[in-house]
Amino acid sequence: MTEPAKPTIPESDWSSLLHDNSRTGGQGVRAAHAPDRARWQIRVGSSIRSAPILRNGMLYVTSLAGISQAIDVANARTKWKFQAADQVHSTPSLCGNRVLFGCDDGKVYAVDGDSGTKVWEASSAAEVWTSPVVRNGVVFFGSADAHMYAVEAKTGRARWTQELGGRIYSTAFAAEKQLYVGCGDGKVYSLDISSGKILWSTPTGNGIDSSPAVVANILLIGSEDFFVYAMDVNSGVVRWKYETGLGIASSPAASGDLAFIGSKDGYLYALEIQTGRLRWKAQAGDVVTAPPVIGDGVVCIQAGGTFAFDIATGNVVWKAGLAGAVQSVPVLTGDVIYLASNDGEVYALE
Amino acid sequence: MDRRTFVKATCVGSASLFLKDFDLLAQAEVTLPQPPPIEVHGLPQAKPSPLGMPGLFPGRVVEISDPGSIVRNRVSQPVVCRMLEDGMKDLTGESSVRAAWAKFIDPADTVGIKINPSGAPACCSSPEIVREIISGVQSVGVPARNIVIYDRYSYEIDIGSYQALLTPGVRVVGIQDGFVDTSGYDPNVYCDANFFGEWETRSYMASIVAHGVTKIINVPTMKDHSASGVTGCLKNLGYGTFNNVARSHRAPYSFTNPLIGVMCSVEPLRSKAVLHIMDGMRQVWHGGPLTQVQDFIYQAGLLLVGTDPVAMDTIELQLIEKKRREQGAPSVWEHDPKSITPDGHEFYHDATKNLFFRQPGHIAAAGKLGLGIADLKQIDHRQIHAA
Repeated sequence: MTEPAKPTIPESDWSSLLHDNSRTGGQGVRAAHAPDRARWQIRVGSSIRSAPILRNGMLYVTSLAGISQAIDVANARTKWKFQAADQVHSTPSLCGNRVLFGCDDGKVYAVDGDSGTKVWEASSAAEVWTSPVVRNGVVFFGSADAHMYAVEAKTGRARWTQELGGRIYSTAFAAEKQLYVGCGDGKVYSLDISSGKILWSTPTGNGIDSSPAVVANILLIGSEDFFVYAMDVNSGVVRWKYETGLGIASSPAASGDLAFIGSKDGYLYALEIQTGRLRWKAQAGDVVTAPPVIGDGVVCIQAGGTFAFDIATGNVVWKAGLAGAVQSVPVLTGDVIYLASNDGEVYALE
Repeated sequence: MDRRTFVKATCVGSASLFLKDFDLLAQAEVTLPQPPPIEVHGLPQAKPSPLGMPGLFPGRVVEISDPGSIVRNRVSQPVVCRMLEDGMKDLTGESSVRAAWAKFIDPADTVGIKINPSGAPACCSSPEIVREIISGVQSVGVPARNIVIYDRYSYEIDIGSYQALLTPGVRVVGIQDGFVDTSGYDPNVYCDANFFGEWETRSYMASIVAHGVTKIINVPTMKDHSASGVTGCLKNLGYGTFNNVARSHRAPYSFTNPLIGVMCSVEPLRSKAVLHIMDGMRQVWHGGPLTQVQDFIYQAGLLLVGTDPVAMDTIELQLIEKKRREQGAPSVWEHDPKSITPDGHEFYHDATKNLFFRQPGHIAAAGKLGLGIADLKQIDHRQIHAA
């Protein structure tokens, strides 16, 4: 069974990287209009390299100052802050009422979503930039120490550890029985979700920091070897690959029969999931490293500014030029877009 | 005369010296402003090392080329491995690669590998070459945890994806996250000069260089530079070690000459930088250092290896000038006011335009400070071509 988890969260919530564990990139969110103005804008005090997440009117943001904080989107006030021991590059995710995120001190923290109090921490031997992924009461995360970890969501107690061949900066995709992740050694791995045993691995031509998505038994991922790959989820056999102009750090988001992914060549690509045929490509900036998200008829991506492209044609529908380089992932809701930027600003655009 | 006064006097002296020797003003069609005096505060307890610039092999530059090292803009790991091994053996005269590395690195060292990620992803220090350098350092017995890959701006390192691509166990460090973040710098080690009336006249040395590492391997890329003429060993080291350096050039004028060389002469940077490996897989001949325009990036498939940054940059300047001539672009020495544009877009797409009056004389000026040999006749330029 390799079908992705179906989103069960309310439409207005955005509980992990690319919306939910099925890595849809926001598919199903009602609308994303061109923003006219900023409802609010706050400065968190240090650079933000992660994406914000949203639940019940609370926006959770992590920053390089090592701070994870909850911002009430109604008034832009910070409800709580949690100070970790080192920088935080990891996009947080939600598990029940807990906020999970990795830290450069090698730990994953679970923090109470109401109070910001630490509930547990789980250790690895090097920085954790990946976003923790939760499936059936287990948290999975990769570390720069070249290991994948599985810990209990309630306690943080270790379930299993599996060594891979390189640093891990790819956020894992958790299906019912298999875990999929890219690795700095250039391979895509499938692990048994209950034991961590390696089921298959497929090499690409360079390291991987893109995070996989799974659609209809096809795993999609980018590689620094310039190619987008589609692999069979059960065997790892490459079904097709598509060459872009430079390395790929962006991650795919899928909508209908199309997958969208950015490349460091500055383009956003729309590829047919079954064949790898290019439907369209559009320039989003000089460099694209962020993943796209999908709104109402548009696909949005941050690349120096925020762009929305028509999902069918690739034509620019709107763009918002914001101060500071932006390489994060927007959170789309019905009437507000939340953005974080490298220069430490968080925006609510309406 | 104390050290501070001496360096100040030396720098002023060098400014007038190279004006005489290289006759820049005679080449210029405009009157360029004179550089101000630069006051230097090195680390007081730093001891000069015989390995420091110009290092064990002054004037020697080993150029290794192989067209198979970069194919369709991908760098070949096995080919650059062999190129670097050949280069290290030729530079040192050692018959084994390990012995070659051991000329520069001890097992007890903490080794900083100074990459150049600015310009990523189009042209930056290739992760494939950095991996081979890490292997070489490890072959001497340095554990991965004592190898630090670093540069000033962490967001540029992120764009290059170095964290994911390098060997497990090594540290990847960005000294600062934003333009005004000074926490990674030593306030007691600095260069002080007022170029354009700026409010902050000091540039501070990165703490990781002053205190964190014992040796530095410099991995610049091969690019033209809109302000300094080219960016190679010297600029990657000087402007990648001190903060607040963009203030040295305000269009159309540039004081990268003499600031680049002065910064490289400051201890302990000068003594710790023991080896330079210039990544010439890609060669930016216009639009540097940040261009992403592939039309101006030539896949040269070269490595330069040496201990003398002045000699290496002199060879680099020759190579960039040759490529510019081939492409019909003016020399980086040209100081024609008509070539200057304030329009960044025009500069990035027209090789006859530039933002500054470039200062490639910074290389020879660094030679005058004792950092190496700039005279082509005295440079032992060895070339190894793939069979």
